[in-house]
Formats: sequence, C-alpha cells, structure tokens
Amino acid sequence: MGLLQGATELFPVSSLGHAVLVPSLLHWSFKQSDPSFVPFLVLLHLGTAGALLVLYRDQWVALIKGFIAAAIRGQIRTDTERLSMLLLVGTIPAAILGVFLESRIKSLFANPKVAAIFLITNGVLMLGFEVVRRRAERRAVTNARTRAEQEDHFVTAERISFRAAAIVGACQALAFLPGISRSGVTIGGGLLAGLRHEEAARFSFLLATPVILGAGIVEVPQLFSGGVPVGEYVGGAVLAGLAAYASARFLLRYFRSGRLDPYGWYCVGAGLISLGLLALNL
Amino acid sequence: MKSNRLAFGFVVIGLLSVLAAVLYAVGVLQIFTSVTSGPHTKHALLFAVLAVACFIAANFAREKVY
Repeated sequence: MGLLQGATELFPVSSLGHAVLVPSLLHWSFKQSDPSFVPFLVLLHLGTAGALLVLYRDQWVALIKGFIAAAIRGQIRTDTERLSMLLLVGTIPAAILGVFLESRIKSLFANPKVAAIFLITNGVLMLGFEVVRRRAERRAVTNARTRAEQEDHFVTAERISFRAAAIVGACQALAFLPGISRSGVTIGGGLLAGLRHEEAARFSFLLATPVILGAGIVEVPQLFSGGVPVGEYVGGAVLAGLAAYASARFLLRYFRSGRLDPYGWYCVGAGLISLGLLALNL
Repeated sequence: MKSNRLAFGFVVIGLLSVLAAVLYAVGVLQIFTSVTSGPHTKHALLFAVLAVACFIAANFAREKVY
C-alpha cells in the first residue's frame, strides 16, 4: 500500500483514488470506513512529503529564508521571495476548502465506484488541459522545431501571477475527491497559467508539501490512539517516501518534453476497467 | 496597491483570525465543524495561518517611508 501510494501520489493519476480502488478490487483487508483509514493515508502522504523535502531541500531552505525576509520587509526583491509568497497564496485556498469541506468529502471515501467515476473524470481533465495547452502553443509558437523550443516560450514558476497561484492552489481541494489527482489538477492549472510542463510539475510538488505536512500534523495523532499497528503504518510511510522520491525524479525528467496525455488515457482506462470489475463483483 | 487603509483592514481581519483560532482551540467556537463539542485543532491552525497571512499582507499593503 505504501509503495502504491508513493508511486501514484506524484503521478497525475490520483493516489487517493488508487488507495480506495485497489484494496477493494484485490480484496485486501483494509476497512475504508475505519477511523484510522484516513490518518493512515495521511501518514503515507507524510512519507511523500518527506521525499519532496529531501528532493527540494536546498530550495526549501532558500524559500523559507526568502519568505521571512520578504514578510518582514513587506516587499519582494528576488524570484525566490516571489515564489515563497506565491506558495503561501496557493496554499491558503486549499487549506480553507480542506478544513471546511473535508468531513463531507470523507463520506465519499468508502465507495470504490465513486472513486472509479472520479478517476475517469480526472483522465478527461488531463486530456482537456493538454488540448487547451496545444492551442496556446499554436498561438504562441511559430518556428519551434523541438518540444524543448516549444516549452521555452512559456514561463517558470516564479513568474506566474498571484491570482493564478491562488486558483491553482484552490484546485488542490479537488483532490479530496478520491479519483481526482492533486498533482494532475495543479500541473494542469499551471499549464493553463502559462507554465512550462517541468515548471508546472515543480510548482505542483512545492505546493503539495505544506498542505500534506499540515494535514499530517492534525491527523497523525489519531493513529496513536490505540489499536492501530503503528509500526506497519510507519513502514508503509517509508516505502511511500522512497517510491515518491523515485517518481518525482522521473516526472521532472519526463516533463522536460512529455505531456499529461498518457496519464489521462491511463485514468480513463483504469477507471472504466475498475467500474466494470466492480459491477461484475469480481 | 499601497494603502494604509487596506493595511489596517488586513490587521483587523488578522486580529479576528487570531481570536477565532483561540476560540476554536479552546472549544468555545463550534461553527462549521463536523463534531459539535471539544477543541478543533484543524480549524484553530487554519485561522492561525490566516492571521499570519493577513499580517504579512498588511505589511505589504502599508505605505512605506524611505
């Protein structure tokens, strides 16, 4: 489960959707209605957040220093300071929506069919983001010969507007729906805001870290309330972290020239197959 | 957009957020919560973060003298 979550968390294929669907399809003995299920998922997410902190350790040190300097000064002077403020602006809408909508959304967790339907929706969204992006590329690029040259016409994470950062951040709340990918909607939102694919992935990964850590801080204590196999869960979190680290390295390389399409088609296919299997009760 | 009036507005919202954070933390405030008793750590943390964000926004919005 840890490997599954870590591998799927950063790929735009919805880790939560897979965490709900796969145990159900494989008849694993996870009780998704169990009170420790969501904290368990959060612990796995913490493994992922740990991997992202390790991957971006130098950037996070610079971002935190930049954030403090800009906050005290009341003025942004460098790209790093701007990015730190963009991350704050992007995190707040997700935090507000998460806190106030979480309990209602939780009631959807126990239903694998809902997760399958949202997985298909996620796939359609990914494909839609790329359709819109291709139009923007046709408008912006006239003489690019390679994908790298095409991407050069778009901007880095530091250069998007604060309004776009807030909208991309708010999109994260969609990921509380099992089947909708947080990284998928934020990478897609980043593309619509004019980011390069690789930069959209970087912004998505940076944006994920505070939200996942925040969720972990409030949910993990529930794990230690008794009757929960904490050792096994922590082992799962470590595996999730290792898988997430490898996934992030792969994705950052992939998005130098790759697109969201393969993940979109995968989600549509996996969602349809899951729906079929669930309907047949296999 | 630099304006001391805007900065003052952010400070007021920040102070209200601090108050909400404290009330949620001690379990007095029960609005928009799934459980209607006890402290609400998640809500308290959210309002604490909002308060910090408001104070930072106020610092950005105020007219600066160089």
